Amino acid sequence: MRIDWAALGVVAVVSVTATVIFATLLALGVRFVSVARVRSSEGGSATLPLTAGYALLGCAALLVLFCLYLIVPQFH
Amino acid sequence: MTLLFVVTAVIVVALIFDFTNGFHDSANAMAGPIATGALKPRTAVIIAAVLNLVGACLSTEVAKTISNGFFDDALITPAIVLAGLVGAIVWNLVTWLLGLPSSSSHALFGGLIGAVIVGAGLSSVNGSVVVSKVLLPAIAAPLVAGIGAALATRLVYRITRKTPREHADTGFKYGQAFTASLVALAHGTSDGQKTMGVITLVLVAANLQQPGTGPHWWVVLAAGVAIGLGTYSGGWRIMRTMGKGIVEIETPQGSAAGAASTATILASAHLGFGLSTTHVATGAILGSGIGRRGGEIRWGVARKMMFAWLLTLPAAGLVGGLAALLSDHGNVGVVILLILLAVACAVIWAISRKHSVDHTNVTDSHEVMVLAAAAPETFEHHSPRADSSQPVKTKGAA
Repeated sequence: MRIDWAALGVVAVVSVTATVIFATLLALGVRFVSVARVRSSEGGSATLPLTAGYALLGCAALLVLFCLYLIVPQFH
Repeated sequence: MTLLFVVTAVIVVALIFDFTNGFHDSANAMAGPIATGALKPRTAVIIAAVLNLVGACLSTEVAKTISNGFFDDALITPAIVLAGLVGAIVWNLVTWLLGLPSSSSHALFGGLIGAVIVGAGLSSVNGSVVVSKVLLPAIAAPLVAGIGAALATRLVYRITRKTPREHADTGFKYGQAFTASLVALAHGTSDGQKTMGVITLVLVAANLQQPGTGPHWWVVLAAGVAIGLGTYSGGWRIMRTMGKGIVEIETPQGSAAGAASTATILASAHLGFGLSTTHVATGAILGSGIGRRGGEIRWGVARKMMFAWLLTLPAAGLVGGLAALLSDHGNVGVVILLILLAVACAVIWAISRKHSVDHTNVTDSHEVMVLAAAAPETFEHHSPRADSSQPVKTKGAA
C-alpha cells in the first residue's frame, strides 16, 4: 500500500501557514482601521493608520486571489 | 437502448445526489455567518449557491481521482454506480433529517464501495487508493483545519485585544462573510467535482467516453448548477447544528474557521484528495472553539457527530449494496430501485415537515427535533450562555 505522505504533509503545512498569515493580516487590518476611527473621533489625523489598515486588508485579499490563481489549471 | 436508459438514470440520480450534497453542506460555509448575523440567511445561501457554481468550474483534480483508478474500470457498470448513488442519497437525507452534518463525500464513497462489492466482488475496489485518498485525508484534514483555526483564532483575539469591541465586531463581520464565501467556493470545487467524477465514471463504463480523459464541459456545468441549487435551498436543519449546536461562534472565530476550512479544502482538492468538506468545516469550527479562551464547545453534540461520521461509510455502503442487488436485475430492477428511492425521499421529507427548520427560525435554537423523544440528550453539555436557556421554538415540540 502506497500512501503519499509527502502530499499529505504539503497540504497540512500549506493550509496552516496560509490560514495563519491570512488571519494575521485580517486582524491587523481590523486593528489599524479601528485605531484610525478612534483617532478621527478624537479629532486627530487618521490617514496613516487608515492607509495601513486598508493596505493590510488588501494584502489579505491578494493572498486569497494568489492562492486561487495557483489552483486553477487554466492559468498555467 | 437498455444501456442508454441506465446511463440517463444514473446521470439524473447523480445530479440529485449533487443537489442533496449542496443542501447538506451549505451549512459548512454559511452556518457561521448566519448564526452571528454577519449575513442574512437568504443572502448567505444565494452567495453560497453562486460561488458553488463558480467553484465547480475551477478544477477537475478530484473528478479525475474518482473517474480514474478508484475502482477497476473494467468491472464497473452503470447499474452499480446507480446503486451506489442511491445509497449515498438515502444516507444524506437521513442525516439531514437528524440535523447531523455528516459527510456527503463519505456517503458517496461508501455507497459506491458497497455497490461495487455486491455487484463486482471485493477485489474490484482499489483498497490502497481508498485508504490513501479517502480514509487518511478524512482523519488528517479536520485535524489540520482544526489546528489552523485554533492558531488563527488565538492570534486574531491577541492582535485585536485592545481594539474596541464594536469596531472589531464590524470588521470581523466582513471578514467572516468573506471567508464563508470562500468556503462555499472551495466546497463547489471539492464536492462539485465528485459528481462530475461519478458521471464521467459512468460515461467511461458505458464506452461513451475515452478512459483517462477528464469530464466534459456539460458535466461540469450540470454538476455546478445542481450543487448550487441544493445550496440555495439551504439545508436549514444542519445549518442550526453547525452554527449553534457545536460552538457558540463569534465573528473573529468565524473568520478564522472559514480561512482554515478554505485553505485546507483547496490545498487538498488541488492534490486530488477527495476529502469531506463537512469534516474540514467541523474541525475548523471545533478548532476555533478551542482557540478562544472561554469558548464553549458542546462535546455532546460533537460526539454524536463523530458517531455519524464513523457510521457514514458503512451505512451508505450497506444501502448501496442492497440497492446493487436490485439494480443488477436489468431495467425492471432499475425502475423498482428508482421508485423506492422516490418513496424514501418523500417519506423523509414528510417526516421533516413535522418539526421543520427553515430560514425564518434557523437561529432560534441550537437543536434539531425529529421526534420529541429525541430531545433530552442534546441538553447534557449545553452551554450556560443566554440562548440555550430559551425555550426551544421548534413547532409543535412536546
